[in-house]
Amino acid sequence: MRIDCCYCGPRGHEEFVYLGDATVERPNGDPDQPLDEAARQRWVDYVYLRDNPAGAHRELWQHVSGCRAWLVVTRNSLTHAVLQVEAARDVALGRGLHQKPTPAL
Amino acid sequence: MSEQTSSPDRPQAPQFSVATRSALVGKDGRTGTRGQSCRLPTGGLIERARSHSFTFDGRSYAGHPGDTLASALLANGVHLVGRSFKYHRPRGILTAGPEEPNALVELREGARREPNTRATTAELYNGLIARSQNRWPSLRFDLMAINSLLAPILSAGFYYKTFMWPSAFWEKVYEPLIRRAAGLGRAAGKADPDTYEKAHLHCDVLVIGGGAAGLMAALAAGRTGLRVVLTEQDFRLGGRLIADNRVLDDRRSVDWVAHMAGELAGLPNVRMLLRSTVFGVYDHGTYAALERVSDHIAVPPQYEPRQRLWHIHARRCVLAAGAIERPLVFGDNDRPGVMLAGAVRAYLNRYAVAPGRHAVVFSTSDETAATVADLARAGVGIAAVIDPRASVPHGIEAAARAAGARLIGGGVIIRALGRARVRAVEIRTATGAIERIACDLVCVCGGWTPSIHLASHLGGRPAWSDRLAAFLPAALPGGMAAAGAANGQLALADALAAGAEAGLEAAAQCGASGQPVAVPATDGESTFNAALWRVRAARGKAFVDLQNDVTDEDVALAGHEGFRAGEHLKRYTTLGMATDQGKTSNVTGLALMAEFTAKPIAQTGSTTFRPPYTPVAIGALAGGHRGKEFRPTRLAPSHNWACERGARFVEAGQWLRAQFYPQPGETDWLTSVKREVRTVRSRVGLCDVSTLGKIDVQGADAVEFFDRVYSASWKALPIGKARYGLMLREDGMVLDDGTVARLTAERYVVTTTTANAAKVLQHMEFCAQWLWPELDVQLASVTDAWAQFALAGPCARHLLHKVVDGQHDVSDAAFPYLAAGQVTVMGGLPARLFRISFSGELAYEIAAPAGYGEALWRHMMESGREFGVEPYGTEALGIMRIEKGHVAGNEINGHTTAADLGLGRMLSGAKDFVGRVMAQRPGLMAADRPRLVGLKPVDRQDCLRAGAHFIRAGAKPTGREDEGYMTSAAFSPTLDHWVGLGLLVHGPERHGEQVRAYDPVRGGDVAVEVCHPVFYDPTGERLRG
Amino acid sequence: MAELDHPFRSALAGAVTAGGQYGRRSACPGVVVSEIHAPGLAMVAARKGRRGDLIAAVRAGFGVDLPTTPRRATGQEIAFVWVGPDQWLALQHPAPKDGMEGLLAPLAGLASLVEVSHGRTLFALTGSRVREALAKGVPIDLHASAFGPGDAASTLVAHIPVNLWQVDDRPSYEFAIARSLAQSFWQWLTVAAAEYGVQFADG
Repeated sequence: MRIDCCYCGPRGHEEFVYLGDATVERPNGDPDQPLDEAARQRWVDYVYLRDNPAGAHRELWQHVSGCRAWLVVTRNSLTHAVLQVEAARDVALGRGLHQKPTPAL
Repeated sequence: MSEQTSSPDRPQAPQFSVATRSALVGKDGRTGTRGQSCRLPTGGLIERARSHSFTFDGRSYAGHPGDTLASALLANGVHLVGRSFKYHRPRGILTAGPEEPNALVELREGARREPNTRATTAELYNGLIARSQNRWPSLRFDLMAINSLLAPILSAGFYYKTFMWPSAFWEKVYEPLIRRAAGLGRAAGKADPDTYEKAHLHCDVLVIGGGAAGLMAALAAGRTGLRVVLTEQDFRLGGRLIADNRVLDDRRSVDWVAHMAGELAGLPNVRMLLRSTVFGVYDHGTYAALERVSDHIAVPPQYEPRQRLWHIHARRCVLAAGAIERPLVFGDNDRPGVMLAGAVRAYLNRYAVAPGRHAVVFSTSDETAATVADLARAGVGIAAVIDPRASVPHGIEAAARAAGARLIGGGVIIRALGRARVRAVEIRTATGAIERIACDLVCVCGGWTPSIHLASHLGGRPAWSDRLAAFLPAALPGGMAAAGAANGQLALADALAAGAEAGLEAAAQCGASGQPVAVPATDGESTFNAALWRVRAARGKAFVDLQNDVTDEDVALAGHEGFRAGEHLKRYTTLGMATDQGKTSNVTGLALMAEFTAKPIAQTGSTTFRPPYTPVAIGALAGGHRGKEFRPTRLAPSHNWACERGARFVEAGQWLRAQFYPQPGETDWLTSVKREVRTVRSRVGLCDVSTLGKIDVQGADAVEFFDRVYSASWKALPIGKARYGLMLREDGMVLDDGTVARLTAERYVVTTTTANAAKVLQHMEFCAQWLWPELDVQLASVTDAWAQFALAGPCARHLLHKVVDGQHDVSDAAFPYLAAGQVTVMGGLPARLFRISFSGELAYEIAAPAGYGEALWRHMMESGREFGVEPYGTEALGIMRIEKGHVAGNEINGHTTAADLGLGRMLSGAKDFVGRVMAQRPGLMAADRPRLVGLKPVDRQDCLRAGAHFIRAGAKPTGREDEGYMTSAAFSPTLDHWVGLGLLVHGPERHGEQVRAYDPVRGGDVAVEVCHPVFYDPTGERLRG
Repeated sequence: MAELDHPFRSALAGAVTAGGQYGRRSACPGVVVSEIHAPGLAMVAARKGRRGDLIAAVRAGFGVDLPTTPRRATGQEIAFVWVGPDQWLALQHPAPKDGMEGLLAPLAGLASLVEVSHGRTLFALTGSRVREALAKGVPIDLHASAFGPGDAASTLVAHIPVNLWQVDDRPSYEFAIARSLAQSFWQWLTVAAAEYGVQFADG
């Protein structure tokens, strides 16, 4: 299997590590937030529960033996076709959920 | 080939060479064809001027360069070459290619002995040594042939039926028995002396197969200027074109092939790999090919590998793998001398060998005409041409008439007679009469099976063609197209045209254009085949799969017992298993199953094919990665010194670390290690800890980042200080521990454990890039940049004073416990100093640029001589950390929480961090979780072992009573008895209690006392000293 | 790094002989290897949101346009190799007197600077058979039509992480290998190139 790293070009899978589902979102873990049943459920979902779609799937991979970028790879789990590769950092920033806690330099 | 024209320079019908076989070959190897009683006097692609001598089962023979072992054996009249897998029936040579099911031999001797080598592909070389296999005591007289008498119980599924109980018998009785009786060759049992290598190859168009279609495809694509790779498993290009006598554009086919090879060789962008089999297709245009670099010589030349594994990356691929001829199923169709007709033509034309003197041809294909013509031209007598069709095509009739052969239309062979060699066939004529015809060669052809294997390696199912009575590629892997016989284009003209078109199309898909290649005109032919899956009412055993001794009755039985799907048929009967993977038998097996279950073949389905297409040695897959080179080795900065000092090393991940440093006179490791521990506890020791992961962290948000990835808060960490930190996984378990030192306002250096260095960096990069990309934080691994040495012991500061340059105050007051700073050493060398301790002694870690590491180490050993400094290795390090109750990999094992390890106080409640929420789950907070304790043997003479389970005193040692286990144990030279760490239910509340450390696997059962995990200096006075 | 009396030790010390031949003996070895001794190396990583400023500062200060794809850009003495998004490996040989962090100090605030001069061993490889030898481990396509002077890549060779770049079209390449793995890389190289003959030239 080869992944077309958006920075380095197509490389063999041995250069990458797989993490898993890129669609799960880390819940707010702020201790000031109440850890009610709904919050607990969100955490269980985030840590343990995964969909296993037959077809296009967004996954996190790291090009660990290349540019070390974490990537969001959209892959068809039936055919292994790699449909899209994006930089995870850009995808994460695009979610727009991130507020800087401290002023930037 | 009903209208085959004569070759331009057809050889005169030769006088059959009946030279007496000379038992001995001339010492100079120059024997000509002497002794090769079945070698034709002219023709063939062999080098007659030179001879190769070889032995088979200890007997010497001669052949020529250009021969395979099979052709050379046949040239010497040797047909009996092996015994079958299950019934030990005598077997001969069926084919002339890699599909061979029978002629498997042990090649070479000693450590190079290689079992199950196909004689039909083994290229002859001078001095080749081969032995038959699966016979005892000899090939001609095989006692195991008694298995034939047991045939009734050795039918399909016999494993499952016969050896069901008692189950204990499987391992001790049945399996060894079966393995001895049924089997293939013997492995060498010694280390392979040859080398294997891997290599990468990139191209635009990969053409698999150098036959008619492949040559055309390679030329069409090659002329566009693209990078083309052409692979051919044989040592000669041409495929069927060098096995058959064909005419292309007024050239003999062998000459046309030579012409094509010359043109391709002239294209610098075309690379031809002979002796190379593409055996696997993988995702996204990746192909694996095995090149047999030196298999055709006795011993590989120095510096050259035996075989090379190519990883080929191709944008497009043309599969031109040809087709495999099918045998016919009739009684005792496995007798030596029963051969595929196409193989017989290959032996006649390519190798100039007559595999018999009186042939019978039994075929359902129109190609019979070519077989008859080739036999006749070689002077082989043709006793009969048998065609099951009532109305035999005119071409066959004409060929038979020309050869003076009797034609039996509407007839079938019901049985072959003879044991070690066929001597006659029993036929049933159209009228039902049974007749016996003497012969020593039976040429059979049941049509051709396209070699579609590679087309379905990615799971694509082939499609059944009624017209061809064969499966054809469908749902091909991305980028692949099939052409020629592999795609069902069996006629030469069709294959040539399809190859040319596929080559051009593949080039076009790569964005290159070119002129169509002119397709040569060919002599006419008919490739029509009237499928006959088995001869009904045959006598004797009618084999479908020769390699696995599967008969038509076995297939019927499988169907009867419900194992009807292709995959079930395979597993129940073993049809299609082993080294040939059913290349000559799969389709027939499925067709028979369809017949027995009264279903169309298309509905019976095909088994799918997986890599490898032909067997690949494990050595080739390993390449250079074996022995010491199994994986790369990382060497620490003091490695060279440690070697000089005679250190013993241990592998820690990829690192080679000094385990201990024996001194003269020390004969066992414990003596050395005890001395090293005592040196540290009483004077000062040096340990190379460069292997710890080191990560440089910078950025305005570095502290915020640490707050989120570590469990404790870092906001209060001042410049010039280090602190111990704990990292959790998001599920609440401990991931790793280490230190964070703050060097400047926005610059930190993090250490990780040696084992988790790579994992922690990946995790931190994940956090920085994916979880919190808004943070200004940059990470860089500096593990290799710095040599880092621990100096530990009461005299550590004295030694430090002699190393660190005078302007730096490293007194206890100025540089207290957990201080961190930048200093210079040895007169101006920039270094980093950390006052941290793993041993529990006054200790420092000093880091210097790695290239000066050895110099610093030598300097410290020299300077520390007056304090009695000694190096210490990982064993002493491990003992001292157990004495101090420090957790390490045995405790941070992915199943433990911070609280389990007594580190619960390190979880901040005031901020979010990875693992915080999940660590609060009731199950992870439960009071009865096994938690960290220390353990010492009640009888101080007793030895402790990690892995022993804790059982309450007086309780039965059962799983229910299991209360935890010993994670680490060591002999403490400081306390003079064994100490251990373990995880025990309610452990911290049970100090003073005695429990059993029960180790049934190794027979251990020791009473131990539960205690605090810190055995040594519990108040930490020494490290602050 | 400061000049010291204490000897700098190459990671290859003891494993190679300057001028030594490995593998097949040949008057004209197919692969010629040398070690670039004690180079100055630093990781340069743009601070959050400062990539543009960093690129401008490098252009102004060093006359180099920082590549934003896997390439190597060279200035008068210094070179920058793209090794990851917003990350470069800065090289200068011989190493500057005050170390790379000193040389690059004008970039402070725009980039994190990490001296790694001792963290990598630099190999220079050339020779008539160098591409064939490298194909036995380098998984990427080094054919002239696919990879040329100035191109760079990070990949795995025989399980060893490498940064490599092409210097000229003889062709010559440079490989940066983690110091601790330098001998393993050398071991692989001598085996891979043995059939062409290897000369270890004195760098």
